[in-house]
Amino acid sequence: MEKFSMKHKTAAVPEVDFSNVPEMHPYLREPDQMYVGAPGKHGYLKLRFALDSTGKSVLKEIDRRVPLIAQQGLYFDEELPGMPCLYILSSGGPNVDGDRYQQDIIVEKDAMGWVSTGAATKLAEMKFNYSGMIQNIILEEGAYLEYLPEPIFPCRHTRYICDTRLTVHPSATVIYSEIYMSGRKYYGKGEMFDYDILSVCSHGHRPEGEQLFNEKFIIEPSKYDPRRLGVMGQYEIFANVIVMAPKEVYEKVYAETEPFVDKEQGIAVGITTLPNEAGLLFKVLGSKSGRVKKVIRDFASKVRMAVKGKPLPEEFPWR
Amino acid sequence: MSTPIESVMHLLQFTDSTFPVGTFSFSNGLETAAYAGIVTDAATLREFTESQARQAAFTDGVAAIHSHRNFLAGNYEGIAEADRMLLRYKMNAEARLMLQRMGKKLAELAAKLFNSPLIARWLQGINDSEVPGTYPVGQGITYAAAGVSEMDMFCAHQYGVINMVLSAALRIVRVSHYDTQKILFDLASQTAGYYEEAAKMELRDMNAFFPQLDIIASLHEKGNMRMFMN
Repeated sequence: MEKFSMKHKTAAVPEVDFSNVPEMHPYLREPDQMYVGAPGKHGYLKLRFALDSTGKSVLKEIDRRVPLIAQQGLYFDEELPGMPCLYILSSGGPNVDGDRYQQDIIVEKDAMGWVSTGAATKLAEMKFNYSGMIQNIILEEGAYLEYLPEPIFPCRHTRYICDTRLTVHPSATVIYSEIYMSGRKYYGKGEMFDYDILSVCSHGHRPEGEQLFNEKFIIEPSKYDPRRLGVMGQYEIFANVIVMAPKEVYEKVYAETEPFVDKEQGIAVGITTLPNEAGLLFKVLGSKSGRVKKVIRDFASKVRMAVKGKPLPEEFPWR
Repeated sequence: MSTPIESVMHLLQFTDSTFPVGTFSFSNGLETAAYAGIVTDAATLREFTESQARQAAFTDGVAAIHSHRNFLAGNYEGIAEADRMLLRYKMNAEARLMLQRMGKKLAELAAKLFNSPLIARWLQGINDSEVPGTYPVGQGITYAAAGVSEMDMFCAHQYGVINMVLSAALRIVRVSHYDTQKILFDLASQTAGYYEEAAKMELRDMNAFFPQLDIIASLHEKGNMRMFMN
């Protein structure tokens, strides 16, 4: 099999390669179109939040390679006006076959930041290879990060793998959320659960390297239908929120958060504590993205209140 | 080393519901699923049980296989690593608690049944909080010590998961013994495929996507209505 034979790399951009992950083995053919890792298909983004000399949180460093784009930090959060907020965008539209991305987000000591995406992330139809992303999220002492991106839409035959390493100081707090749609419901005859594979791994570590938890899920609808009871049941949207935080923070949020199943509104919410006192895991199943996002914001607001003494502001009406 | 007949006898002993590790005290979330109207009859019970079995195969089952292999290789560090990794990969607090409670009971019992330095060391490790002492890792060790093959041990592990749910179902879901026995009988055919996959997996490949089970478990974790332990 011809595999990555035409690999060209930009030297400074870290390699993103999942060819040693067993579930991706069926998807290692070089695309007929632009080769894996070609310029424009190998995105890199590095964001570093830090305090400036006056003690204000700023976006101190930004390094970006197409198709990933991030603009400057904006201070639009009415409840935390000192927090730089940033949207990650992609100039290439959806993630396409053979795309490789890496995002490194660093929040230095006592700094804070907010990161989201400008719109939903579409994962295009794939025929040969896969789209992969590596994320490194690093929080130093007393740092605070809210990472609340818009939903991810897999299309027919999408193959997507994402590995997120959260390295968090015991005094820091990160809210890391992911929302996965089942597909484009109203496109053609509908593409619900028509994707080939979503493989998602998020793992938490301490700065010295000790691993606290590892959550890995692989969804292959053709192998085990996600609509089965116990998986997603009748729900169409799945969201995961990881909170790594000091014990006094996460215990307070845990006590204030009630899991529920609301059959009328089509939403179910669960919360549990992560292994090794790492923090919380909040899960949502729903059928309307607006409601799922609202539930996640309400939860994130509790975390922010426990850390910063402020809630999240009302979401913008156009989001 | 046990003779083949002794191994079969041990296998039957360890999978029996009277084997005192506490399987009868847990419902794997079925109690909440029934209360929330998610599992109401034989058909929904079957799907719920199938999802539980699949989830267990690619997490607990993999850790059990690795601890079985490491026991036979005389590698305590390998057993300890499987134990620690399983706990790190177990996202749900109630499941971690259940696996550790049952694991410790199994370790104490196994230390009395077998004159095995590895088992004694694992029990000591649990008592010293050096390893978490999870039940599937204990199963791998115990069955290996009894001369039960890796494949048979995996089957016993899956049987335990399925039977735990179905035994609880008789008390909390409107189903008959005929229904639960039919489900148990039918699920045997899936176990072969699960073993084939699980046997090839490394510990780092352990994975689970059962958010509805996770949410049900969290309702139980924080709920008041409870017949079974957490």
